[in-house]
Amino acid sequence: MTIFQRIRSVIIALVMILSGVLMLCLPDIGYAVAALILSISLLLYGIRTLIYYFTLARHMVGGRGILYIGIVVLDLGIFTLTVADNMEIYILLYLLAFRLFSGLVDILRALEARRYESPGWKSKLAVGIVNILMALLALAAGIVFRSEELLVVLYCAGLFGSALARIATAFRKSAIVYIQ
Amino acid sequence: MQKDFHYYATYCAAYLAGFSHEECMELCYSAQFVDLCSASLLTKLNGPKAAATTQLQLELMDSPADILSLQNITRIWASFHFLPGDLYAAKPKCSKSYLQKYRLICRPNGELLVRTVERAKGSSLQAAGIAMHVLADTWAHQNFAGTPSLVINNTDSWFFELLPDDASGEGGYKRRRITFRPNPSMKDDLENSVYQNSLFQNNENSIMNLGHGRAGHLPDYSFIRYQYLPAWGEYEAITKDNPSDYLHAFTQMIEAMKFLRGEREAFLPETYDLAAIEPYRERIDRIIKTRRADACEDWKAFGEELSGQVIEDFDLEKYQEEYMSARGDAKDGTFLGRFFLAAMAQKSLVTNAIYRSGNKLAGYSVDYSVKGFRGIRDYRSLLDAVIKKEGHR
Repeated sequence: MTIFQRIRSVIIALVMILSGVLMLCLPDIGYAVAALILSISLLLYGIRTLIYYFTLARHMVGGRGILYIGIVVLDLGIFTLTVADNMEIYILLYLLAFRLFSGLVDILRALEARRYESPGWKSKLAVGIVNILMALLALAAGIVFRSEELLVVLYCAGLFGSALARIATAFRKSAIVYIQ
Repeated sequence: MQKDFHYYATYCAAYLAGFSHEECMELCYSAQFVDLCSASLLTKLNGPKAAATTQLQLELMDSPADILSLQNITRIWASFHFLPGDLYAAKPKCSKSYLQKYRLICRPNGELLVRTVERAKGSSLQAAGIAMHVLADTWAHQNFAGTPSLVINNTDSWFFELLPDDASGEGGYKRRRITFRPNPSMKDDLENSVYQNSLFQNNENSIMNLGHGRAGHLPDYSFIRYQYLPAWGEYEAITKDNPSDYLHAFTQMIEAMKFLRGEREAFLPETYDLAAIEPYRERIDRIIKTRRADACEDWKAFGEELSGQVIEDFDLEKYQEEYMSARGDAKDGTFLGRFFLAAMAQKSLVTNAIYRSGNKLAGYSVDYSVKGFRGIRDYRSLLDAVIKKEGHR
């Protein structure tokens, strides 16, 4: 990892933490900020896909499909920006899908680690259970309680987790030593 | 390749190269262990994580999509399973990022393979076993890269199996369409050419796009011949003739191991010891060409006939207790300790070569002789072992 990549990683993490704190401290606009972040993410994904096509995928057999995906997602990003004030369902879906998938993978990994008698399996299992509980909580918050605040808190918890992981990655030693 | 070739066929090749039964066993155990030495296993053994030579499916799924994880994946898979054929390969009119991935495509007889075999000379039997695994995989895994990449490792749905056609006369083939199903629980249906593969993911760095996942287990079957369009191939079909490739791998292993034993002065690329297998050619051809998912039984029987000894089944736990009960420095002298040192040396060699070619996909490599010790702490044990060896000299 280059120094630039490490600095970039830390800056992105700080922005994520700041956005999370902002959303929690200003609950009136918190929900709108979360929705805006999701819309912008979609927009950026569309742009990134187009860049990916022009730098890499245009050489690939069947690569034109990537170009079409890029155009459609970019269009979707622009569209969602225009309806960003009514996006509760998107935040809910995002939280559900992301947490559920992470939880399932963590639990499967824990079971595998247990089979290998690896000592870390209990913490892995705990992380998996927490992720699934968060998904269920998001479901309850959105559908049962219709609580926008709780959805925002859950979204922020995810943001903080990702930010901390980014900072930890930025400080990890990574060079391979070549010994002749 | 799988256990039939990495364990039993490697035993046969080692015996034909002149190693004793005991040496062959250590050598083929090490060759097969490359497919099992994961970070999970190393955690259990309390061994150096940097010595991982493979990743379990769930380890891969669990790894974050950050740059360090991608570099770690590339180091492991490019060093042990998809050795790059030409780190300076040219491809006109493409971006630098594309070229870096393109240059990691695995091919046999590359310069890195020669360096891998040369590095194993004078080292342990474990190093020889690792080198044989790497060599064999350059034949089976050619045309795919040991880094997650859609633009390199994806395959088109235009995929055909070539089946011997008795009606068309000597040496003719008929084509049969191959159907892939990305269902991890299904078994390959060899009768109807329905095979399992990894799920299509349009994310360039998805682990589904690592190595030959998109072509399923086809590169690992010695009997199969097929035609397909690789993502990087500009719509030109490739015909993969596994029986021929596996025979080349087997005879090149004999050649390499004769070099390791000192029977050859140099290990030269594109040199195959066909003379050594002449008395057994028909038998070996039959084993390689028989249509089935696993040829362990036949390779084992052949090996036992060659040496007159029993080849014990591969037991993952065989050397674990020895390693775990050894204290401090004594660990490096155990079977697994020697394997871990050899694995780190191989990873260090390949990562350095990739880095020096201006390619950062496998991460950074710090040359100890120039900058001293910087980087992952696990490599300290490799350094200590090298210093100890130099001291003995």
